[in-house]
Amino acid sequence: MITFTFEGEPISVEPGTSVAAALLSHGERITRLTRINSAPRSIFCGIGVCFDCLVEVDGEPNQRSCITTVKEGMVVKVQHGS
Amino acid sequence: MSQSPDAIVIGAGIVGATSALALTNAGLKVLVIDRGQIASGTTSAGEGNILVSDKEPGPELDLALRSRDAWFELADDVGGGFELEAKGGVVVSSSGAESLRTLTAKQRESGIDARDISSSELWELEPHLSRSINVGAYYPQDAQCQPMLATARVLQAVKQRGGDVVTGSEVLAIENPRGVVSSVVTSRGSYSAPVVINAAGTWAGAIARLAGAELPIAPRRGFILVSVPTPHRIFHKVYSSDYVANVASGDADLQSSAVVEGTQSGTILIGASRERVGFKEGIDYSVVRILARQAIELFPFLASVQLMRVYRGFRPYAPDHLPVIGQDPIIKGLWHNAGHEGAGIGLAPASAQLLADTILDRHSFMNAAPFFPSRFFGGK
Amino acid sequence: MEVRFQVIVLGGGPAGLNAAKYAANAGYEVGLIDAGSRLGGQYWRHTGCEEFDQSVHHNFDQGSLLMDAVLANPRITVHSETNIWSASIINDEVVIRTNNGAFITQRLILATGAYDRSLPFPGWDIPGVMTPGAAQSLLKGHGVLVGKRIVVAGTGPFLLPVATGLSSHGASVVGLLEASGKYSWAKNSLELLRNPAKALEGVGYLLALRTKKVETRYRQAIIAAHAGANGSLESVTIANLDSEWKIRSTYKLSCDVAAVGWGFTADTAIASSLGLALDVDASGSVSVVVDENQRARQSNEAIAIYAAGELTGIGGSDLALVEGAIAGLAIAGSTQDLKTLKKRRKKLRSFAQALTKVYPVASGWKSWLSADTTICRCEEISYSDINEAREEFDASDARTIKLLTRCGMGLCQGRICGRTIADLMNSTPQERINSASRPILSPITLGEVAQEGLL
Repeated sequence: MITFTFEGEPISVEPGTSVAAALLSHGERITRLTRINSAPRSIFCGIGVCFDCLVEVDGEPNQRSCITTVKEGMVVKVQHGS
Repeated sequence: MSQSPDAIVIGAGIVGATSALALTNAGLKVLVIDRGQIASGTTSAGEGNILVSDKEPGPELDLALRSRDAWFELADDVGGGFELEAKGGVVVSSSGAESLRTLTAKQRESGIDARDISSSELWELEPHLSRSINVGAYYPQDAQCQPMLATARVLQAVKQRGGDVVTGSEVLAIENPRGVVSSVVTSRGSYSAPVVINAAGTWAGAIARLAGAELPIAPRRGFILVSVPTPHRIFHKVYSSDYVANVASGDADLQSSAVVEGTQSGTILIGASRERVGFKEGIDYSVVRILARQAIELFPFLASVQLMRVYRGFRPYAPDHLPVIGQDPIIKGLWHNAGHEGAGIGLAPASAQLLADTILDRHSFMNAAPFFPSRFFGGK
Repeated sequence: MEVRFQVIVLGGGPAGLNAAKYAANAGYEVGLIDAGSRLGGQYWRHTGCEEFDQSVHHNFDQGSLLMDAVLANPRITVHSETNIWSASIINDEVVIRTNNGAFITQRLILATGAYDRSLPFPGWDIPGVMTPGAAQSLLKGHGVLVGKRIVVAGTGPFLLPVATGLSSHGASVVGLLEASGKYSWAKNSLELLRNPAKALEGVGYLLALRTKKVETRYRQAIIAAHAGANGSLESVTIANLDSEWKIRSTYKLSCDVAAVGWGFTADTAIASSLGLALDVDASGSVSVVVDENQRARQSNEAIAIYAAGELTGIGGSDLALVEGAIAGLAIAGSTQDLKTLKKRRKKLRSFAQALTKVYPVASGWKSWLSADTTICRCEEISYSDINEAREEFDASDARTIKLLTRCGMGLCQGRICGRTIADLMNSTPQERINSASRPILSPITLGEVAQEGLL
């Protein structure tokens, strides 16, 4: 099992799990708030095409959670705007 | 709109639009024709630059100084709505303080508000600038707009004030029996007018030929890189001082220098490249690489910012790098307003004013002679 | 870093896997580039846990064998987690630039597949509304159920395996809505019956669903989604539709996931970058034009570019496998008899074409939109923003609307909203082809772009 944090809370998952899968299976749905309307967004296409499921990973924004594999110690946060 | 307007403008880009508005405001019924949709040429490939800082002293600078103010008058006239902003430009030098200080002194003599700034002032204006860049100048007159919205708003004003815009109509011939313009034949119909304005930008040479005239306007390709939307970290248009030399260069080879700025939506635009490769299709990624590298040299944080989009435009330029504004030397009633190279957006309102004044035989803000097309054919 | 291969295959789904296998077996050194962390593309998405994978796939053995064969083949080098950001032709070679360096070849096979087609409706951007592909990929790839009370909706045969998979793994599929009529297959039954295996497959799904008490409701669609207090999906409004998909009556259903899809769209941007001839069908779908050997059309005779799978026309995984085989054999100049493969391809293609007649998208979806319906998700542009630009500026084409409103200028660069805008603005086929162009195929940091040695 490997552990990462989401908004400061630790989550443990099997190696090879995507950030999106990890969040969903722990009841976390909202990955970001949009730039203009601060509207909550989540996974939409699930395969890396729509760029809606964005999260901030280790300080880098615009990471697609559905195609980002969880790594030990990763720090994931809800993305606010850009 | 009848088939007989007072004037026909060929080209619905920013130069055609402002030309049409200037004549409309003078009471003429103007028809604007474009083979594509509005701003489908170089206008939509521009950044929206309204600069005085990069102009060499001379007629182009005089035009640019008037045009800069004319942009704000235009915004008042049509009710704004195109993100016009007196953002200010910051020019940084990679070749030492002396050459930049010499340039700014010369610029001040010619009427540009060019301010030498210390390195601490420079980093206050642009906190994310590389600290290895420590020589700069500030140009509060430099401004920015959104060219697509500007063109659309200006054309709406033309329509509201009695003019018309016809898109999807390709000009097939400009009839001029005995060397006097009489009508324009398009794929969607013919229109007669005593005044026809060639504002077809990079395609102005082809339009001139349809009248049996010649205009030496050629394409100079450029790319613009667009980043993903990011939090605002660049506050002015920032560019390196070798930009001015590149604009003026007659070299066909690639001229590139860093030009970086943010937009209201948070994207960062990166230019600027100039190449004489005709209307070459496709994207040259080696140029994209050079532009990315130059931008990172100015703003190191850009290394981790993602590139989202690249687009390409063909700037229209004349052999002497001055726009062409005036009546055709051979065909009476055929007027040209084209060849603004990379300054089409910035120079448009003043070019339009100059053109309208010349057509209507009114006193204008400057002598239009340096821009006359006759200069290519031995004067007069 | 620059690597050259005798053949490069882009895409690790059924088409790409078969293309790589056949080209390698014909003697070529093959590089297979795939964005995923595991091979299989969308169709054979798997967790690596065999028992689970068998349980979610209708026939995983075939895929499993093929993936193992590709990985074990000494002539095939697989580059996973590799995202392509641009492609161009330089000095008679194709250069594919990725986040893991540049890959160069004179023989290229494009097999990059497709993604769910979306249509906008009020509330479709609420967390919990997603594509059937998202529900499927989370289940198949990670064993994760996207929700507890799921409505699967839209049109097309893909809804069935998605609903079946979710249902048999413990989700409550509270609605399975097909916007087409129940008997529209009957009008095309001849073609469908010529493919008994495919027809039986469909029946299999329906039976499996019936045991879970999931019945397909025909001529129904989700026309609005509603959020609860936490901002997440709480319920949907479902409409009974007429044959043009206009609303006749409505009712509400509570759910926490709505998986909505309307067929598929192939991403033809890389084909556009390489100057390949493209075509548009009656539904507005853009595809790569290929000859009978799967070879694409372009002007540089020194290079050979082939395309297989959804890129040449949406047709499902069996067709993708056959096209991949033909492309792999043809690009290797194999003398093997392609007649049998081509016969099978013909049969599967006509089946796929018959299906598009069974599941067309009718224009009535436009009547579901309200003023504040989001059209461009990335840039948060609403239907009224678009209408204002149309009215205020007499804009009548998709490109002008995009430039005026920023629609399609966000991170997804029009992958999701592009087809919608084209439909709303009645784009011509040529306009659709022109808008397929996307010089930066996926985002890449400026630092990576600036690296030395990149062609």
